[in-house]
Amino acid sequence: MEQTIISLKNFIPECVLIVTILVCLLADLIVRKKSAVVAVIGIAGLFVSGWFVIGQFGVKESVFFGMVVIDPYSVFFKLLFIVSTVFIILFSLASKEIKDSTHTNEHVYLMISLTLGANLMASSVNMLMMYLALETVSITSYVLAGYMKKSKRSSEAAMKYVIYGAASSGIMIYAMSLLYGYTGSMNIFEISSILSKMGGTNPMLVIVMVMILAGFGYKISSVPFHFWTPDVYEGAPIPVTGFLAVTSSAAGFAVLIRFFSVTFLKSTTMLNGSLQIIDGIRWTEIIIVLSVASMIIGNFVAVWQMSFKRLLAYSSIAQGGYIMLGLVVANQQGLTAIFVYLVAYMIMNLGAFYALIMISNKLNSDDINDMKGFAYRAPAVAVGMGIFMFALSGIPATVGFVGKFYLFSALIESNMIWLALVGMMNSVVSLFFYIKVLKYMFLSKPDEENSGKIYYGIAGYVLLFILVIPTLLLGIYFGPIVRFAEMSAVMFGLK
Amino acid sequence: MIYYTILFYVFAVLAVATAFYVVFAKNVIHSAFALFGTLFAVAGLFVLLNADFIAITQIMVYVGGILVLMIFGVMLTTKIADIDIHTKNLNRIPAILFSTGITVILIFILFTTKWNIKPQVQNQETVSQIGKLMLTTYLLPFEIASIVLLVALVGSAMYARKTK
Amino acid sequence: MPEWLIDILITLTKIVIVEGVILTAVAYSVYAERRVSAFTQNRIGPNRVGPAGLLQPLVDVVKLLMKEDIVPAKANRLVHALAPGISILVALSTFAVIPFGDKILLAGREIKLQIADVNIGILYILALVSLGVYGVTLSGWSSNSKYSLLGGLRSSAQMISYELSMGLAVLGVILINGSFELDTIVQNQFGWKWNIILQPIGFLTFLVSAFAETNRTPFDLPEAEQELVGGYHTEYSSMKFAMFFLAEYANVIVASSVITTLYLGGWQFPYLQTFGLPDMLVSILQVLAFCGKVFLMVLFFIWVRWTIPRFRYDQLMNLGWKAMLPLALANLVLTAIILTLFKT
Repeated sequence: MEQTIISLKNFIPECVLIVTILVCLLADLIVRKKSAVVAVIGIAGLFVSGWFVIGQFGVKESVFFGMVVIDPYSVFFKLLFIVSTVFIILFSLASKEIKDSTHTNEHVYLMISLTLGANLMASSVNMLMMYLALETVSITSYVLAGYMKKSKRSSEAAMKYVIYGAASSGIMIYAMSLLYGYTGSMNIFEISSILSKMGGTNPMLVIVMVMILAGFGYKISSVPFHFWTPDVYEGAPIPVTGFLAVTSSAAGFAVLIRFFSVTFLKSTTMLNGSLQIIDGIRWTEIIIVLSVASMIIGNFVAVWQMSFKRLLAYSSIAQGGYIMLGLVVANQQGLTAIFVYLVAYMIMNLGAFYALIMISNKLNSDDINDMKGFAYRAPAVAVGMGIFMFALSGIPATVGFVGKFYLFSALIESNMIWLALVGMMNSVVSLFFYIKVLKYMFLSKPDEENSGKIYYGIAGYVLLFILVIPTLLLGIYFGPIVRFAEMSAVMFGLK
Repeated sequence: MIYYTILFYVFAVLAVATAFYVVFAKNVIHSAFALFGTLFAVAGLFVLLNADFIAITQIMVYVGGILVLMIFGVMLTTKIADIDIHTKNLNRIPAILFSTGITVILIFILFTTKWNIKPQVQNQETVSQIGKLMLTTYLLPFEIASIVLLVALVGSAMYARKTK
Repeated sequence: MPEWLIDILITLTKIVIVEGVILTAVAYSVYAERRVSAFTQNRIGPNRVGPAGLLQPLVDVVKLLMKEDIVPAKANRLVHALAPGISILVALSTFAVIPFGDKILLAGREIKLQIADVNIGILYILALVSLGVYGVTLSGWSSNSKYSLLGGLRSSAQMISYELSMGLAVLGVILINGSFELDTIVQNQFGWKWNIILQPIGFLTFLVSAFAETNRTPFDLPEAEQELVGGYHTEYSSMKFAMFFLAEYANVIVASSVITTLYLGGWQFPYLQTFGLPDMLVSILQVLAFCGKVFLMVLFFIWVRWTIPRFRYDQLMNLGWKAMLPLALANLVLTAIILTLFKT
């Protein structure tokens, strides 16, 4: 009882989210038509929750009987999720696809539930809790992916997502059961200390790692588990696609990083700060393979895509590969680099998706061919999109460059120069298809029949501007995010 | 003790055999019936593990609820019984190699790993213990599960609702 | 004789006696139903075979056995034959956990008047109730007839809907007793402390759900004659039909026994133990008290059938989901609150 109450005190942000979900649900039942009220309530709830999350900064506590922990690491991710959810809800208000759907306001509280699941994924330290949090995120995303009931593509996306999701989480939970059978514990700290005693030279552990990666890798759409990504991204409404690309995959990274860096860490080195991986468990090598494969396949396949959403899908597969590079380093610096990259990734991806929403609202298409000469029709949006594309490819003076810079320098400092080289080569390839979009927009003339100017409401420009500013500003003045990342790169139980 | 071992193998073989039938049956409704056997056999395995509450819950939830709904769905989809489902595989040989490979690896793991086997405990009253754990150690998963169910409920209502 | 053999023999005897009694009771509840319906409708009812028509059930059974067994041409034969068996098996095995009396001393041996004393008795009953859907659903599907199919569909929807409120209603009783054991629940209902007094709302929801689970009027939509001919057993004849018929009445009796056990004090006769009667007599009186209560409940079932008209399907679903479920939930919450406040 005592402990439950103490735990609840540390659990206020999540409680606020749950209350917000319920209030939105009731409000939706009362309003019964499309209305911004529910979205406003949702955003207000997210802000309140975010306020409490900021208050948790610096806390290092294990709550709910070792199910979840509050540490700077989870606080970082929670803030990231809440901020991106606020943006996505704003996007969904602007999106024509959501407006034309037959539903009222369900997307708002479904998105908040996804945020709740993501928050729990970032803070769980128990395999049971990890699985449940992952399922919360997955089930919500299945529903959201099929949000446009009338659209065949959307239904197809939801169906594919469900089948892949069920298979991969089945594989993951089987691996978790193996790990439980071997160690007799579901808490990752206990598992780590038991594994440290037994030593890691066991073929079982390799299989467990690969199979668990099937579950987490599916969330981050890392290569052998990425097949759903293009189809789902293409079928789902764009705000949902953006949500999957940002929140859902960042949540996948949150749980993946914590699981691998704690479970297979020598428990004796946890507190003295030297942080060694248990001998014989070479998970970083598996991650290297996945990371390189993701980068190469993501970037090279993206070159041929003519659907903007599919292009962004392969782009986020590739971006996932970069982020995993930071995990390979497996030290404080790598984690800091990942955090910097994640912030950059969030800003520029949100921006790209928002610009895409603006474009496809008017064109009713996400085909790159249809965007010919878009710069002549709506210059501001085209310039915004250009900035986000440059940022995604990592051109200097954008936030994307800062992210890549920190990742590659972390790699070089741990003498993994060849990996850094692979990453850089991939960036060059990626430049090709990001610029391709701009070529169509800026260098081709629009078709005769659709060459009229396109205008947007002032709110649309403001939101775009809000996203453009940090993309550029943080690219030059990146001190704050780096400091924030350094402060956040602290996990519970580790020094 | 020998009886328990025999019973274990009976249930285990039943579970695996019916599970095979679920996968390979050409008729959906036969698959559903075979699933009945699988779920029941698993409930039997739970009984052998002294987990009577879980066994009964397994029957109540899976056999009495979920499977009935599945059969219900099959019945509503008229004439589905007459349709052959062609389980065609595009890459038959790689698939066979891959799955046999995995099976071999898993069996190898099963026999080579030193599992953490705990001594058998005779539980008198599992229900109250489960109840206590649900409200202490596993309070959070228990509550989050309800959120998951709520979301699933909202989602299915959203899909099923008639559109004006 | 070794100890375990004696145990097995005792259990077997109990099973034979109990099931024999139930099957006889089933036959005679059919008779009772016909007499009561006749009485309600100001007729006489069966009175020709034997004194007051008491041998009528036996003749009926013989008649059903002699009839031709017809299976529809496109039916799924295996499932068609299996379905009535499932129905009756489920109906009869539910009785295994119901205590019909206290312990008795017989030849120096303490014998529990209950076939199986499992510590999750209530859950066992709920699980079997949920299995009962199969008989109806499968028969409806396998007959390959639209009336059967519709009957089967209706009943599975109905039974699943009411199972929930049933389970929730029982939770109130469990909260009060802190046990899933039916024996403990009955023991706790000594004196005036019947659960019907402690749990009136729970009793109501449970009763209504029990009516729905047994597919009896006012919830007999699965076999609504005017719309569905015979519902799920339209295509059944001879012994298979007889088995459905038996199952229906066995279900009524089992439901009555469960209601008696959970809410009407089971075998308890108020303050009987305090009268100072010989032990053997007390035990016999208790068994009789149980039988009497069950008999009254069965009569109640029949009475309701011939008094209340059938619900429409949407009314049935509305009642189940919008009235019974919230009521059962409210009852659960209320019980929990009262228990936390007043139980020290």
